[in-house]
Amino acid sequence: MTKTAHCCCGALRVEASADPDTVSVCHCGECQRRTGSVFGVAAFFKREHLRAEGPSKIYIRDGQAGRKVRMHFCPTCGTTVFWEADLRPDHVGIAVGAFNDGNFPPPVLSVYDESKHGWVAFAHDLPHFATRPT
Amino acid sequence: MQRTGQCHCGSLRVIATGEPDRVYLCHCKACQRRTGTAFHFGATYPKERVRLDGDRKVYERDADSGNRIRFHFCPSCGTTLYWEGDRNPAVCGVAVGAFDTSAFPRPSDSIWEESMHTWLGLPPRMDHHRQGRPPTT
Repeated sequence: MTKTAHCCCGALRVEASADPDTVSVCHCGECQRRTGSVFGVAAFFKREHLRAEGPSKIYIRDGQAGRKVRMHFCPTCGTTVFWEADLRPDHVGIAVGAFNDGNFPPPVLSVYDESKHGWVAFAHDLPHFATRPT
Repeated sequence: MQRTGQCHCGSLRVIATGEPDRVYLCHCKACQRRTGTAFHFGATYPKERVRLDGDRKVYERDADSGNRIRFHFCPSCGTTLYWEGDRNPAVCGVAVGAFDTSAFPRPSDSIWEESMHTWLGLPPRMDHHRQGRPPTT
């Protein structure tokens, strides 16, 4: 089943032809700043299942241990739609909000809980990690 | 009291003076798309108590109310830090995630819960609204 994620103005789009391998919530400071919210929700797809179209600008930030993360955002409206991380070169992360789908699979893990807001809670059980799984 | 928030890359900053009028969550579809996450975490201030420092780009769109709303984002990293609209020209909003959020007041209300993700478990100790906040009369 094809799912499409796109930015606010619709210019930058990614089409996924398969389900994500993982959906996770991340409470790290980088995700808080990027989203302007309390956590990021990411769906990780195998690269070969995705097709991106439209202009994107890339913001490269440092990840862990010298690795880089390349964030693709729309130059017209600013929405970050997807990103590629050296940590998982075969996968691409997509911002779940960009799918605008209330039935999107729920997150199956919660990472960087060390910076989680105390009032944030989930209605289902999922594994929590102070940083990320080793 | 002054709080400074910044975008992902640090080149755009938002400086807010005093306490916000309101700290809230919005689960509407437009906020989900813009933030890329499950909901928007926002604070509102009178415009004169907030200033932006650094290059920014503006994305303007129609709000559901029919008014125009303008989002200010960093052209280098895309982070939206600030917005203001025609519906209430005296007020602006900031993205709370841009600040040191541990020092920020907790949200007092949650709106547009009709499109809230079912896997979220929000604290009962806030006002919950299926759509926008009813007008205070």
